[in-house]
Amino acid sequence: MTASTPPTIGLPRALLYYRYGPLWRSFFRTLGVKTVVSSPTSRKTLDQGSALAADETCLSVKIFLGHVQELVGSCDYILIPRISNFGRGRSMCVRFEGLYDVTRNLFRGSGQKFISYNVDLLQNQEEAPAFLALGQSLGFAPKEVKKAYTDAKKREQQVWKARLKAQEPLYRDKSLKILVAGHGYILDDPYVGKVITDFLRQSGVTPIRADLVDRAAALKASPKLSPTCKWEFSRELVGSIALHREQVSGIILLSAFPCGPDAMVNELLLRRLKGIPVLNLVLDGQSGTAGVETRLESFVDIIRFKEGSLS
Amino acid sequence: MKTHRKIAFPRYAEYNCALKYFVEQGLDADYILQPTLTRRTEELGAKYSPDFVCTPFKTLLGSMIESLEAGADTLFMTHGFCRLGYFGELQEQILRDLGYSFDFLNLAEYSTGKKKDWVRAIKWVNPKANLGKLTLRVRDTMKMVRYLDQVTAFYYENCGFDATGGTLHDIYQQFLAAMYTVTSRREIEALYQRTMDRLRKVPLDKPAHPLRVGIVGELYTVMDPFSNLELEKKLADMGVEIHRWMNLTNRLIDYPGEKNLHPAIQDLCTYEMGPTSTANIWCARKYAQQGFDGLIHIKSASCTPEIDVMPVLQNISSDCKIPLLCLTYDSQTSDVGLMTRLEAFYDMIDAKKRMRR
Repeated sequence: MTASTPPTIGLPRALLYYRYGPLWRSFFRTLGVKTVVSSPTSRKTLDQGSALAADETCLSVKIFLGHVQELVGSCDYILIPRISNFGRGRSMCVRFEGLYDVTRNLFRGSGQKFISYNVDLLQNQEEAPAFLALGQSLGFAPKEVKKAYTDAKKREQQVWKARLKAQEPLYRDKSLKILVAGHGYILDDPYVGKVITDFLRQSGVTPIRADLVDRAAALKASPKLSPTCKWEFSRELVGSIALHREQVSGIILLSAFPCGPDAMVNELLLRRLKGIPVLNLVLDGQSGTAGVETRLESFVDIIRFKEGSLS
Repeated sequence: MKTHRKIAFPRYAEYNCALKYFVEQGLDADYILQPTLTRRTEELGAKYSPDFVCTPFKTLLGSMIESLEAGADTLFMTHGFCRLGYFGELQEQILRDLGYSFDFLNLAEYSTGKKKDWVRAIKWVNPKANLGKLTLRVRDTMKMVRYLDQVTAFYYENCGFDATGGTLHDIYQQFLAAMYTVTSRREIEALYQRTMDRLRKVPLDKPAHPLRVGIVGELYTVMDPFSNLELEKKLADMGVEIHRWMNLTNRLIDYPGEKNLHPAIQDLCTYEMGPTSTANIWCARKYAQQGFDGLIHIKSASCTPEIDVMPVLQNISSDCKIPLLCLTYDSQTSDVGLMTRLEAFYDMIDAKKRMRR
């Protein structure tokens, strides 16, 4: 049975959207469900999110809440998955465990409905059955949902492989190469991380993203630098640094204030990465970029000076 | 057979007595008891910690330094479900960078969920440890934790109404000190019985319906009187019955499980939001439904899971019309500021109670 009038699903353009966007969009498209995506992050997004969130909430979640605010009233449901872990030693930051319920509680008076799916491998809750339950709750037959999920998974892989392939040649580039290690949702966000990579490119540097990496290989390599690191996203970055540090001239640890896992993992990396220039950059959502640019300029100058190309 | 090790664990509320018993009687090693937490501990920890890590990380690091200064050569660190699970590796690195040499048992390296890992960890500490005896001592240790929590709960429920003006306090302090000297199951039992008998005999000047405040919050700060600036004592002394479900007995030994607590709060949250979220939300609602006069939520600065609990607690507060005070502690929180907020909170819940009468 197909629902007579399929609902519209709102997708906040923040956090997991940057990782699972292709999967979600393809899944819903195949089912004939319309999706609306919030507009790219702006000052207004952050202001709206900050007004809703507790003071100490991290920049990324404040931005996320701003995107949710924008979608409220413009769709039947807003999708917020609850992802706890992908198995032992492969956890998500607790933020992603609580995000669905935090948002629901914050928007309780708005009348907006939310939907979710739950990934928690330590409790035997895998992604495929979670999507099946999600599709069924929207009124679709199991067969349709399974097909939509399988297709969406293929699409997700295609998009991901294309992104990896596009970055590959950068490691062989002759210019000054800097590995930028930050979460995908920081680097992809035009209001936050993109400012950094754009500025580096303008300065004649080739920024290479640490998060665009063969994830399985990165997970395998991460214990070399940090044996008990348990956050999936951090392990991908740590592993990527372990795999690529010889191929770049410097590393930027890019984090959003106050990211819980980054606060610890980046401190550890600063202590363990010897013999390569490392810049620890924490973004706090201020509107001016002059301060950050000065730090990036001086970091690049230090590397050039060290390599003898600046006199 | 005894090992040469001198083992220490950072200070954690009053639980170090149980760890001491476990190390000395179970692992056959020496236990080094560092000084109690002070301003210095916090400052030491904060000095060498990254800025926006949560306050317990800093306090524990400071306490580790003080235990090394006291002569320990082996440090223990636990694992955990939030950032706590990564404390050990970073703290060890910081201490090594400071130049300390010591052996470090980081349980996060042993937590694959298999029983044999525990045996591996124990054998690392003392290859000649007697596992049979150790199992018995683990039971004693759990008993100590249980008794400690029971006596503490009784104390804070009643100490605000002590008609003698301080006997309860004296008995409680004597009990805490004596817990560091017990060496057998029989001594533990005797100490507990004697203490409870003495506590129950102290005359109380307690109204039929005293003000009752329920306390919930983050695992470390909510239990540790130094870290929460003795909030429970301060509030109790105003004439309030203090209830705190969150302790090691309830969260670790007797924990009913997320699945069993969740049904009572499923309208508030669909999923488990963090390691102590379910328990705190469940507990806050229970206090509210039992007609408590106020709720206090305690957490350290930048504790992610407890930040996420706050919107849910606010909804409980507005649904059940129960006043909620949210307190965030960092290493600069002052006594005076806390006292002002507590007095205002007390005045409010007291006035509310009178109005209802």
